[in-house]
Amino acid sequence: ILARKFTDKHEWISVENGIGTVGISNFAQEALGDVVYCSLPEIGTKLNKQDEFGALESVKAASELYSPLTGEVTEINTALADNPGLVNKSCYEDGWLIKMTVDNPSELNELMNEDAYEKYIKSIED
Amino acid sequence: MRARRAVRLLRLGRLPYAESLAAQERCAGRQRAAGPGAAGWLLLSEPAGPVYTRGLRGGPDPAGEARRLRALGAEYWRAARGGLLTFHGPGQLLAYPVLDLRRLGLSLRAYVGALEAAALGLCRRLGLPAARALPPPYTGVWLGGRKLCALGVHCGRHITSHGLALNCCTDLTWFDHIVPCGLEGKGVTSLSEELQRHVTVDEITEPFLDAFEEVFHCTLISHEESIG
Repeated sequence: ILARKFTDKHEWISVENGIGTVGISNFAQEALGDVVYCSLPEIGTKLNKQDEFGALESVKAASELYSPLTGEVTEINTALADNPGLVNKSCYEDGWLIKMTVDNPSELNELMNEDAYEKYIKSIED
Repeated sequence: MRARRAVRLLRLGRLPYAESLAAQERCAGRQRAAGPGAAGWLLLSEPAGPVYTRGLRGGPDPAGEARRLRALGAEYWRAARGGLLTFHGPGQLLAYPVLDLRRLGLSLRAYVGALEAAALGLCRRLGLPAARALPPPYTGVWLGGRKLCALGVHCGRHITSHGLALNCCTDLTWFDHIVPCGLEGKGVTSLSEELQRHVTVDEITEPFLDAFEEVFHCTLISHEESIG
């Protein structure tokens, strides 16, 4: 598994065997509050890097999600339909959002590794 | 002393709901392209006619719901905001802050809390200290078991849209046809009901703006230029 990479909009992606799993970071789930609904794309949706691919609702607030990379959606986390709170409880594991192909692996180099992301969060919080 | 952020105020007056949506889209576009220092916009309007809107989640039978509500003589719109089904109409203040949360250093959750605080600040100024914000899923501003102010926001690329709807002299019978915000057994109210006199959107606008500036630590600058 390639180490988790992060976007400046607080999504993460980790790639295994050419398939990327996407979710939101702990910083993001805390900032949202309790997630009550996940609006996710259809399987087969083609996404360009930074395309909006869905939204998370945290009671009265709908927050857009942006694709970390260019690729095609291969799977969505159907557990979230009945249990959207997984995004808060387990944002890096059971609360994953979508899986997608990685059409341009070089785009991964444009994302932040965990250390860089931690620094980024600190810079926002100040 | 910390300098206050400037937020541009756009008073749209009475206009159709669709036009208030279009105006907020234009402001969001401007904010995305804005240089540093621009914190955002606050749009105020009063819906010209009755409108039901449903948020991101959708309902069990959207087409049926649309038909039923349109048959009452209201418009029906889907809105890309949080929250469920609600009503907008004449006598209601719609406040749409189009704010850059990253520039304001606010999380989405804190922003929703700040909107509630602004509505509460207005209530205090009008002599309604008993008004309360309640935790999820009852987000909004309440007097007793009656909702005075509904909230539903959207956030994309750190920029907010939609906002709050505060009943001033709204015809509350329009709410009889829905379960507002999906909350069974809860009532709705207006400032006119609570203060037992006719309270217009115009009357409460300045105190609301005062409360908004206080909560968001900003200065509202009237934007006269037409953005049509």
